[in-house]
Amino acid sequence: MTLRIEVDAEKCMGGGNCEFWAPKTFEMGDDNISHVIDPDGDPEEKIVLAAQGCPTQAIAVWRGEERIA
Amino acid sequence: MTTVLDAAGQFSDWDPLAQYPIDPPGARDPYPRLAECRRSKPIATRNARDEHGNIVDAFEVYRYDDVAAVMRDNTTFSSESIRADMAPVMGEHVLVGMDEPDHKRLRSLVQFPFRPKSIAHWEDELVRPVVDGMIDRFVDRGHAELVQEFTYTYPVQVIAVILGLPHEDHLQFHQWANAITNFAANPKTGFIAARELRAYFADVVEDRRKHPRDDIVTEIAVAEIDGERISDEETFSFLQLLLPAGAETTYRATGNFLFGLLSNPDQLDAIRADRSLMTQAVEESIRWGPPLLITSRIATKDTEIAGTPVPAGSQVIANVGSANRDETRWERADEFDIFRESVPMISFGVGVHMCLGMHLARMEMRTAVNRLLDRCPSLRFDAEAIERDDVHIHGETFRSPTAIPVLFNPSGSPPQAPAPTALGRQSHTERLASVT
Ligand code: HEM
Ligand code: SF4
Repeated sequence: MTLRIEVDAEKCMGGGNCEFWAPKTFEMGDDNISHVIDPDGDPEEKIVLAAQGCPTQAIAVWRGEERIA
Repeated sequence: MTTVLDAAGQFSDWDPLAQYPIDPPGARDPYPRLAECRRSKPIATRNARDEHGNIVDAFEVYRYDDVAAVMRDNTTFSSESIRADMAPVMGEHVLVGMDEPDHKRLRSLVQFPFRPKSIAHWEDELVRPVVDGMIDRFVDRGHAELVQEFTYTYPVQVIAVILGLPHEDHLQFHQWANAITNFAANPKTGFIAARELRAYFADVVEDRRKHPRDDIVTEIAVAEIDGERISDEETFSFLQLLLPAGAETTYRATGNFLFGLLSNPDQLDAIRADRSLMTQAVEESIRWGPPLLITSRIATKDTEIAGTPVPAGSQVIANVGSANRDETRWERADEFDIFRESVPMISFGVGVHMCLGMHLARMEMRTAVNRLLDRCPSLRFDAEAIERDDVHIHGETFRSPTAIPVLFNPSGSPPQAPAPTALGRQSHTERLASVT
């Protein structure tokens, strides 16, 4: 199931750690904020690691109704 | 102490223990003490120095969750302690010591060139030639001491090339870097070097504004976001910060990585055979062997950590080294194990100050070790030298190996790219200067 992934642009500090963990899912934009380029880009566990590794807790991940990170 | 960089890029009268200027000589292994603290007193008071060099009481936190909480909550815990400490050398506007909103403004102005996508092309164009140039000097010999001959110098060289500094300035740049790295041991020399470096950067920035180039200095000097521009003072401070923040950390981290691999020959063999393990191995090495164990904050208001009241104005030391060994997060946390399941570690910090150079550092470490393995077949510890010189990883603030004596088969494959930026090419005996 495709995950729903949200990046809170206010919280994001633009370091790109999410792109390190899940490079096919997240990409740093020229606006200095991370963008979801493909919610199916990486295996689910990598996307969860990216969310957990976010230094400012800017990433939320849902599977259906359930928030998994 | 006089340290002279000779024509081969080595340091004569090199004193291995001078690498740990602010630690007591007994700082061989802080980890048992840290484990005890995590178990029995998750927040403790310890001596620290304030910005005037006076000994003060500080709170130190040890558990992963507490360390992360302190570093994430940048309103309660200000980085002013770092600013006060660094300002005499780095200037008032030093990124790592700034609070919001100033920090965010400056960080967004300098962050662009350090994005994963931006640094990707540096690997082949800049970092690999630097690394190969260093390996060239010992590859035919069959043995080397990799701290002096490799890990200590290559990250400074990488900074010099990514800043686009002309080749003829590299030796001087190394000497400034060396003096600034040894600031705690020799503040006067460090201070003079910092002032000279600042003046030098002023010229470089002025030049790039007139003659823009494809390098970081140009990108930062002309950066503009929402009409905001970086000031000259901020530019110089940022460029200066790259030496302690980017070169010293990477040198020590690469040393710890090599030490971890060489001490675990089965893991070294696995990675030699399958380089796709490199990324997770770098992560594990930075968890297990962070180059810098602590950072500090100042409590801006009365607060509480792990049930202990912490009054406003207290210095709080976040021990990331301890947090990375938290047994509630990692099994067999003291073991170096490149095969363990990755969970995010905290050596690059967390929160808004999380390391700006982490993508560069990871790439440098990967490239450095990949090239050593490519070009030095059967790379292994020189067991005799290890024993004789009591070689070990040392330090409780900065931490890295006292030495990395290695043996290998001296029939390395030729470098894949020439090394035009290698220091050795343009340094002559008569240009040897000393940093006192
Ligand atoms: C393995 C190597 C490295 C480690 C372990 C490391 C660690 C850290 C840590 C823990 C912080 C946060 C400090 C705090 O919050 O008090 C930090 C910040 C920083 N690092 Fe690194 N670092 C490394 C390599 C680099 C490199 C290669 C660069 C060069 C570009 C660099 C540049 C910076 C800068 C500029 C900051 C300040 C960021 C800010 O305040 O927003 N670091 N680093
Ligand atoms: S890890 Fe978090 S703060 Fe960093 S770029 Fe991604 S979303 Fe932004």
